[in-house]
Amino acid sequence: MKCIFLLLILFCAVLQAAQPMIPIEKYTLKNGMRVILSRDNAIPVVSVYMIYDVGARVEEKGRTGFAHLFEHMMFEGSANVPKGMHFKLVESNGGTLNGSTHPDYTDYFEVLPSNKLAVALWLESDRMRSLAITKENLDNQKEAVKQERRLSFDNRPYSTAIVDRWPELAFHNWQNSHSLIGSFEDLNSSSVEDVAKFFKTYYAPDNAVLVIVGDIQIPEAKKLVEQYFGDIPAQPKPAKPDLSEPANAAPRTDVYHDAHARVPGVIIGYPAPPRRSRDYFALGLLDVLLTGGPSSRFQLNLVKGKESLIQYQAEIGWPFASSSDYKDPGDYAMFLLFKPNFTPEQIVEQAQDEIAKIQKDGVDAKELERARTLLRSEQINALQSSLHRAQLLGRYEIFDGKPELINTALDDFLAVTASDIQNAARKYLTPEHRSVLQILPAPAPAAKENH
Amino acid sequence: MRACLSFLFAGTMLMAQTIDRTKPPETPPIPSFRMPPVHETRLPNGLTVVLVEDARFPLVSVRLSFQAGSKFDPHDLPGLSSMVAGLLTQGTTTRSFRQLAEELTSIGASLNGHTNPDVLTISGGVLAENTTKLLDLLADVTLNANFPENEVALRRQNAKQNLLAQRSQPAFLANEKFDALVYGSHPYGVFSTTTEALDRMDRDSIVRFRDAFFVPNNAVLLLLGQLPPREETLQLVRDRFSLWKEKTVPAAPPKDFPASKRQLVLVDRPGSVQADIHIGRLALTRTDPDYYPLVVGNAILGGGASSRLFLDVREKKGLAYDAHSELDRRRDAGVVTAVTQVRNEEVGAGVEAVLDNMSQMAKAPVAAGELTDVKNFISGGFLISLETQASLADQIDLVQTMGLPKDYLQMFTAHVRSVEPDQIQAVARKYLDPAQATIVVVGDAAHIQQSLEKFGPVQVDKAK
Repeated sequence: MKCIFLLLILFCAVLQAAQPMIPIEKYTLKNGMRVILSRDNAIPVVSVYMIYDVGARVEEKGRTGFAHLFEHMMFEGSANVPKGMHFKLVESNGGTLNGSTHPDYTDYFEVLPSNKLAVALWLESDRMRSLAITKENLDNQKEAVKQERRLSFDNRPYSTAIVDRWPELAFHNWQNSHSLIGSFEDLNSSSVEDVAKFFKTYYAPDNAVLVIVGDIQIPEAKKLVEQYFGDIPAQPKPAKPDLSEPANAAPRTDVYHDAHARVPGVIIGYPAPPRRSRDYFALGLLDVLLTGGPSSRFQLNLVKGKESLIQYQAEIGWPFASSSDYKDPGDYAMFLLFKPNFTPEQIVEQAQDEIAKIQKDGVDAKELERARTLLRSEQINALQSSLHRAQLLGRYEIFDGKPELINTALDDFLAVTASDIQNAARKYLTPEHRSVLQILPAPAPAAKENH
Repeated sequence: MRACLSFLFAGTMLMAQTIDRTKPPETPPIPSFRMPPVHETRLPNGLTVVLVEDARFPLVSVRLSFQAGSKFDPHDLPGLSSMVAGLLTQGTTTRSFRQLAEELTSIGASLNGHTNPDVLTISGGVLAENTTKLLDLLADVTLNANFPENEVALRRQNAKQNLLAQRSQPAFLANEKFDALVYGSHPYGVFSTTTEALDRMDRDSIVRFRDAFFVPNNAVLLLLGQLPPREETLQLVRDRFSLWKEKTVPAAPPKDFPASKRQLVLVDRPGSVQADIHIGRLALTRTDPDYYPLVVGNAILGGGASSRLFLDVREKKGLAYDAHSELDRRRDAGVVTAVTQVRNEEVGAGVEAVLDNMSQMAKAPVAAGELTDVKNFISGGFLISLETQASLADQIDLVQTMGLPKDYLQMFTAHVRSVEPDQIQAVARKYLDPAQATIVVVGDAAHIQQSLEKFGPVQVDKAK
């Protein structure tokens, strides 16, 4: 009887909160590795998420694309895992996996049937302990990365402009502005020694967070984590590069002629406020008002209304991050595809006018309430996936040291007022701070191979 | 007290046990997950209503699906069903686009029409507390969409621009050519709309399509999530859909498909830095007796990062970033395709590697270990796909709309587990024989045509 009463209370609490409460157990191993566990037994699935505090922004000149090349090396085997077996062991146990490189972190995940948890921990710990760094593996992965570049960038419309050119416009500090995928020249000149040094410096337990979310028993999971990771030695804390942008740097404008594009596009960006500042939350709501859902201002006024836009996307941290993994310095940026009977200048003006309306007139209560509901609905939807929960927990730990933000960040956004939004728009989204990259269709060039 | 004891116990285990790091840990077999019960009923007007309780999150998903996919498009209006689907939420006799959009946002809902070759579906999701309001909006767009002239014109213009953007993607060009070759003159062979068809799509043709196909006896309504009690939910549905009139629906096009043959078409895309290679043929549907052997065979050939294509083409030969195979499973036919993208100078090696891996599937039986691994891969992937409400709803909707046995989802894993090596060889002989493979390559003809000629006569088409 007592149990039923207790359950009822919990159930009510869940209904009244803005979102379902995610349980969190956080602790640190002796070697400094942070561990976050979150139990959810609704379906027999577990997500294992390993996030390292190193991203493309630490790269040195002459080594563009190195963090990403290194991420590929993480799948090439380790002391007890033969080459090619990493994928095989996860998939043959019914799981999926991947890794990805971001400006400020690199992450790896396995999603598995929950009784296969030990397999993921064995694999993650073995490569953290003893990655196989050989010339053969490196050469093979250099080729794979070049193929990835050809497939995902060089042969596609907009991609090169977004990934290589836009950061050069948005940022003035090379650490922020260089290409994340890297040049073929830099990839070629990377050596086995570079890989070994990067591994020792950044892939240490005290520079990493392990998150496990799903159908687990906490004591059993803790035991496994200790067994697999407990004796991997810590390393000195790596130095952080200086990412600061010069104050009052002038915004820039450029035109990119894209041989693969058939529809013109434009990127518009503004330097954005510090992570989790009052203005950051306000810009989050402003972004929903401008571009979120079917009743956003861009949809109603520009796709309809002026009938100028075809597609749009916008985000704080675009194109590599969104609000949960945004880290300053960064931009609030938007990418707009538009009809050829408009000029890029007209499109920039239309977007700026939409912002100006908010700067001038503010936001009415009904519209703000809709934006809040949309945000809440999107968050709850996203939380269904155990992997997404693991990603949020890991990122909030790496960026803020507070995984519990998974349960409260939404409230921070919901607390934003109409005047917060107006103030943030006035302070950040002004023409004086605006960088613009026009992407215009160009005739196909004489074919040239990019070596 | 019990919690304390188990904690102590775990601590003791930790001290006593060391692990063998040199081998992968032993783990139990993949657990099974019981599908939630599916409650199916039919209203007097023929509307099938499917209710599934899923209390994991305070959300509800809806799917209203019609047998009205692109295969029902009139011959001269490819893309019409997609146009209808997109316009449903752009205005009704009772709500303007703006009102619909604002009401949806204000209840934390989404509602979108979309099509595939067989089915037109209106998909929605909502915070569970607002389920009734979403049903109001769903009924409105289903019964009262009025396709305002200005919205039709705008959608037509934007669709033309999107078409232009899609045509710059090599994968689009490859899929378009491939479908035309393998599905022949059946409407499945039409991959996309055209500028000319968009110009011909007036409001009358749109309304005619909607009136012909949007009838209750041609539809399945699925509600899944934290639903009100069953009888209450059914009453919500009856209140909104029971006046909808039953009517005869047009028949699906005859299932005539061309015989498979070896053919090689190069779609010229000047300036391409690499070649997109698609190789495959007409195969089967989900209800074919050979279906599960082909599901397993396809996964061995090119499903995931442990597949033969991935290991050979990417890892061993270093030719490509992506190398995989896939099944296109439509209601009346299906296709198996192997896909990779290689740089121009490797196009010959790329085609050869794919063909070799295809023919190897028939030559030798799959080893027991590889077979077990791939069955686990498929079973685990199926389990993981049930994690979100939307994907569970899509799976249940699939059973309803593709005419599958009611126990399809319950039995899927067991069927996969029962496949034997000789069955895989048999389907490989039928469906993965290079002598019957259609080969489509998209790339710069000036650079790659010569390397392709050793595979047979090359027909060169200009990219439109």
